[in-house]
Amino acid sequence: MNVQFKKGVLELCVLALLNKQDRYGYELVKKITDQIVISEGSVYPILRRLTREEYSTTYLQESNEGPSRKYYRLTNKGKDYLQQLIAEWREFSRGVDQLIKEGEICD
Amino acid sequence: MTKKQFLSRLDSALKSLPADERQDILQDYREHFDIGLEKGNTEEEIAASLGSPTQIAKELLAAYHLEKVETKTSTGNILRAMWAVVGLGFLNLVFVLGPFIALTGVMVAGWISGIALVLSPVIVMADAIAHPETFQSFFLFISITLCGLGFLVTVGMYIATKAVARGFVRYLKFNVKIVKGGYKYD
Repeated sequence: MNVQFKKGVLELCVLALLNKQDRYGYELVKKITDQIVISEGSVYPILRRLTREEYSTTYLQESNEGPSRKYYRLTNKGKDYLQQLIAEWREFSRGVDQLIKEGEICD
Repeated sequence: MTKKQFLSRLDSALKSLPADERQDILQDYREHFDIGLEKGNTEEEIAASLGSPTQIAKELLAAYHLEKVETKTSTGNILRAMWAVVGLGFLNLVFVLGPFIALTGVMVAGWISGIALVLSPVIVMADAIAHPETFQSFFLFISITLCGLGFLVTVGMYIATKAVARGFVRYLKFNVKIVKGGYKYD
């Protein structure tokens, strides 16, 4: 799939994953790459931006298996932003679906 | 690429960032490597799926300079942000540099006309001193009117320049977000 396109929705994916529970970076990356092919390194700049824009906060937590992990938690501002992005995404994908359907009828 | 190579490449590509910011970024990737190794992956595998450290650095630099230009809109900050965005890819050279040159041209032209109008009485005076025989007070009145107009143009240009600078920063952000991601994966 188109690179630019994927990058735009990556933010939405990260926020959606954080909506349910706090997660650490590696976990987020793996969850996303399970579904979408992306360069894993690009998730961290997004996490930094979301934190800087106060859509998420971070905290360190010890892990049983090794080094402590940086967890990300969605703020209320982040939750509002996620709802906005979801609404935009739904509208956009409905539009694309419609156009695809119209294309098929022509065949 | 090993973990060490990846981190040192990222580190050197980010050397224009403040040390604490850079350490913070490196720590995120170090953690990613450590957890990946724990899960039984090799350093090479992890580095390969992370992607190019220089591309990651470009993305981070663009974000950093854009954020800086938001807190303080100085000419230097705008230029640095612009170069960081241009660095994301060849397309940005066209989409960013083109409008920038055009806008700068318009702004410079506006300022020069404004200032020239403001200074027009001085030119008339100089002319009156140099060639008193051809001087008519009519020239002076006209130039004083033009001077007033020049003040309006200059104040207008001041407001316009600020608005254009703000708009351009927004365009840069939009550009980073949509026009060109800066990542080349597949």
